[in-house]
Amino acid sequence: MDQAIEKLLASLWSPFDALEALIAGWLPGQQVAAIAAFAFYVLVLLAGGLMAVGCRNLVRAMLGLVLTFLGVAGMYLLLASPFLAFMQLLIYVGAVCVLIFFAIMLTKNTGEGEESKLPSPATAVYGILAGLLPLLVLGPLVIAGADRLPQVAYGQTDTRLLGEGLITRDVVGFELISIILLVAMAGAVFLAWRKPGKNKNESEAD
Amino acid sequence: MDLSIANFAQIIIACLLVIALMVGNAVVMVYVERKACGFIQRRPGPYEVGPRGILQAVCDSMKLLGKQIYVPGNIDWILYFLAPVLAFFPVLLLYLPIPFGRHLTAMNVDEGILLILAFSGLGVVSNILAGWASNNKYGILGAARAVSQAVAYEIPMIMALLAIVFLTGSLSLTEIVERQGSWPWQWNIVVQPLAFFIYLVSLVGETNRAPFDLPEAESELTAGFHTEYSGMGFALFFLSEYANMLLVSFVCAAFFLGGYKGPFMDGFWWMFIKAYAVMVFIVWIRWTFPRVRFDQLLNINWRWLLPLSILNLWVTAVIVRFI
Repeated sequence: MDQAIEKLLASLWSPFDALEALIAGWLPGQQVAAIAAFAFYVLVLLAGGLMAVGCRNLVRAMLGLVLTFLGVAGMYLLLASPFLAFMQLLIYVGAVCVLIFFAIMLTKNTGEGEESKLPSPATAVYGILAGLLPLLVLGPLVIAGADRLPQVAYGQTDTRLLGEGLITRDVVGFELISIILLVAMAGAVFLAWRKPGKNKNESEAD
Repeated sequence: MDLSIANFAQIIIACLLVIALMVGNAVVMVYVERKACGFIQRRPGPYEVGPRGILQAVCDSMKLLGKQIYVPGNIDWILYFLAPVLAFFPVLLLYLPIPFGRHLTAMNVDEGILLILAFSGLGVVSNILAGWASNNKYGILGAARAVSQAVAYEIPMIMALLAIVFLTGSLSLTEIVERQGSWPWQWNIVVQPLAFFIYLVSLVGETNRAPFDLPEAESELTAGFHTEYSGMGFALFFLSEYANMLLVSFVCAAFFLGGYKGPFMDGFWWMFIKAYAVMVFIVWIRWTFPRVRFDQLLNINWRWLLPLSILNLWVTAVIVRFI
């Protein structure tokens, strides 16, 4: 039965294969398609970033951030590492953004509050400089060291290799990151802990 | 995965089939749900329209299609209309890696289960946006509940699935089904009963169904995050809720119940039989258990499901490593 379905599917796709062979001459090559996809993701990233920075409304700004994360995930897909792309979405869109949304909802946000004031010119300049700093430091480093990066063949960045790398060669970094996360979590619990039997004002006074 | 016209055509055809499945599923499930509810509560359920009320769901959907779209004042226009769309469209993507047969997948992704988990996060975002944008206190309360519930129940759900991934050594749904046998004692539910139980509880929490339907608890919040939506806006939320239910049932069938493999003859019919058995189970517990309180809902998750799933994962890892 399964073979029959497979044969049926193959016969269904054969006209498409013929069509593709027919117009293969004026189809753009993989290179052009990759550049087009790159341009599209760059646009998504820039639009999301501008929305996140420029929107007066915090919820819309968060939506811009979601768009940026989608663009980053697309970039990972383009780099043939779907695992990273899906983890990006799972962690940043599914957990981080959702938690920030939650925090926004718990605050009194009417759209006329503090977040809707335009920043002063000095703040804007500092902000732009702070944004450019990683670009100016990391960009030259990446470009200079491009030929020293380990070359991985297309389709070789599979999850198994990634996992093996993380628990053998790069285990120290991996564990350090988990310790940082643990410390952050313990700090959050400590800050939010309210001793039983005291009301809110008293515990804030401690 | 190579780029070719046949691949694109396959994905587009799959998306069309998924839309048909989503709509058909919602129509059938509305009838099944109301009849099952009637049976459990000892009343007839719908019986006026058509023989045994079988056309009731068709009537309901016609009513939804023809309804006036009522828009409340002072809303965030973009987000208000974006939210139902954002609820509906990611679901199409979620069905792509589901294997209905050994070769009967829209897109055989090696990280299939990760794709499903990643894009289901957008559904939560749409719930939040809907609650936020409709300028309604009930909506915001429903959205806040949806967030804390989704974030909480996602963790034991992923941990339960991860135990199966540990056993199989693959994130691909097809591979996981292939590693199970045709007969019930060869399925993953036998080796991972605790993971199955945890998954079953957290899928009810994840799809916002009673007894965990706090985001839309009608006795407290009118309709929660979709209070202010009428007509097709509501219908899109409704469709995506039922589509999500079907999706988690398909994942449950593939991970724990042998997927498309079954006694006598493997094939997509087993996938549908198993998934709909899980669906009927979800409907059954909806009308049997009372709705829990919100603190109870979170306590069940953080105090019971999460430690249990961590323990299960740890024991599985030790067994996989040393035995």
